[in-house]
Amino acid sequence: MSKHGRKIVEYVFLIFLACIFVFPLVWMIVSSMKPEASIYLDMNSIKALLPSYNPSEWFQTYKALFSRFNVLQYVWNSVFYAAIVTIGSIIVNGMAGYAFAKFQFRGKKFLFGLLLVLLIVPAETIIITQFTVAHGIGVLNTRLAVVLPMMASMFFIYLFRNFFMAVPDEIIESVKLDGANQWTIFWRIMLPMSKPAIATVGTLSFIASWNDYLWPLMVLTDTSKFPLQVAITNINTTEPVYTNQVMAILTVSTIPLIIVYIIAQKYILQGLGGSGTGIK
Amino acid sequence: MNTTKKESLAAYGFLAPALLLLGLFLVIPALLAIYYAFTDYYLLTPDKRQFVGLANFIEIFKDTIFLQSLKNIVVFVLCVIPVQVGAALGLALLINKQRRGNIFFKVAFFAPVVLSLVVISVLWLYLLNPSEGLINSLLVNIGFDAQPFLSSPKQAMYTIVFVSAWQGAGYQMLIFLAGLQNIPGTVYEAAKIDGVSKWQNFIYITMPLLKPTSILIMITTLIGAFKLIIQPMVMTQGGPMNSTITPVYYIYQTGFSDRLIGYSSAMTVLFGIVIAIVTLIQSKVTKEENI
Repeated sequence: MSKHGRKIVEYVFLIFLACIFVFPLVWMIVSSMKPEASIYLDMNSIKALLPSYNPSEWFQTYKALFSRFNVLQYVWNSVFYAAIVTIGSIIVNGMAGYAFAKFQFRGKKFLFGLLLVLLIVPAETIIITQFTVAHGIGVLNTRLAVVLPMMASMFFIYLFRNFFMAVPDEIIESVKLDGANQWTIFWRIMLPMSKPAIATVGTLSFIASWNDYLWPLMVLTDTSKFPLQVAITNINTTEPVYTNQVMAILTVSTIPLIIVYIIAQKYILQGLGGSGTGIK
Repeated sequence: MNTTKKESLAAYGFLAPALLLLGLFLVIPALLAIYYAFTDYYLLTPDKRQFVGLANFIEIFKDTIFLQSLKNIVVFVLCVIPVQVGAALGLALLINKQRRGNIFFKVAFFAPVVLSLVVISVLWLYLLNPSEGLINSLLVNIGFDAQPFLSSPKQAMYTIVFVSAWQGAGYQMLIFLAGLQNIPGTVYEAAKIDGVSKWQNFIYITMPLLKPTSILIMITTLIGAFKLIIQPMVMTQGGPMNSTITPVYYIYQTGFSDRLIGYSSAMTVLFGIVIAIVTLIQSKVTKEENI
């Protein structure tokens, strides 16, 4: 009996905790699925966490939001930036990782040491001079400016290098004898063999790009080029502000991430950065 | 051309894109920040840029907003680490056992991680609205007073601590869980034979074996927490009364909004050195702990 009672207490406690973590999300989604006035009428009852009883009202907010703002454009922009960053990051960091793993060249040790030192430069603090560089090379207010700084990462180079080092040299040598050059070896042999590394780098790059806010906010002035994260704060400050529309744009910007997290869940944990890759 | 030269050339070919991008957006900005820190560079008059020695650094230490931002970030770091890491560890321990429906709880605790910082900031801005937010209506309904939260200089930073920990705990819970599941069951069985209590189990077996994981998590949280900017930027704009301004946010405001590149760069150098030292300590500790 007491064992049974304990179990119930445990479950009640866990459900209470789960509610703390989940109710904001529930409120976000249901508030986007009811008229503006209902949000505040429902605030004092459990109805705050339920959508409108009338299903025909569920997507009214989305209709209004999509006609008032160019949401499809923002979604497309975010998808575009994230896709380019993902592909670019895999290629750029994969190539560099391959060079460090399988080539002997002058200055290799020095260069690798230098890149490790760069790991301690906190990128967030140098945003201002990053901006002056972007200004200097003339890419301000272009899509290029949004994606370029996100492509190369010492952490990802390191990850690819470790992966490629485990590939036996014999494989490379035997293909070389068949007359393949390094470029072909990289594309035909190395990259196809490194699917786990590609998946990890790809997933983490996609999420980082999708969630990036400060940099696109700084370099873009055309609203038509805004990614969703910047569009959110824009919509949240464009009068008149409707709570249900804000919740709708929050929901729209979150759905793709939910899909990514579900598909790529086993690669997410590898992102605990830096040199500590000891979580096995 | 001999083979080694050819190989070097090929290697640099493969390295070129990464080196170019890291050079443009990491090395050059870092060096520029150090250089500009000693000038009075104003973005709109680049030609009048002059060397001013240590003037910016002297000015910084007289700047009450910058000093306030340092104070704020220390408060944030000191609060968010125990709250977030503690919550993560607690949750991991709670769901680290065979139980029906465990996967549901795991997903629930992880759910906020999926939201971006901008999304959680805007969402909690509405939930915490002093007059018509859900949290205050809940508090009033169960008999408490409504709270000002983000509009009070006393509560604003602690509110940001809570929101940040709420968002981040689920991710670290998974890392703790991986650490817990690495502890072999035989260790606990041996302890059981010796008649060890559950509490002793936790103190003498679980905690020591989780130490490397805990240290790693605490230091990554520490470094991340130092760079706090999005939450105050979206939720409070640094207010009320500068109670939530942070160093990185102030660097952004002076450098980007006020266009005082020289002055902002001096803060970048100073604060960048602080973070770099913490990161160095991290890599030293992780090496010693062999993680």
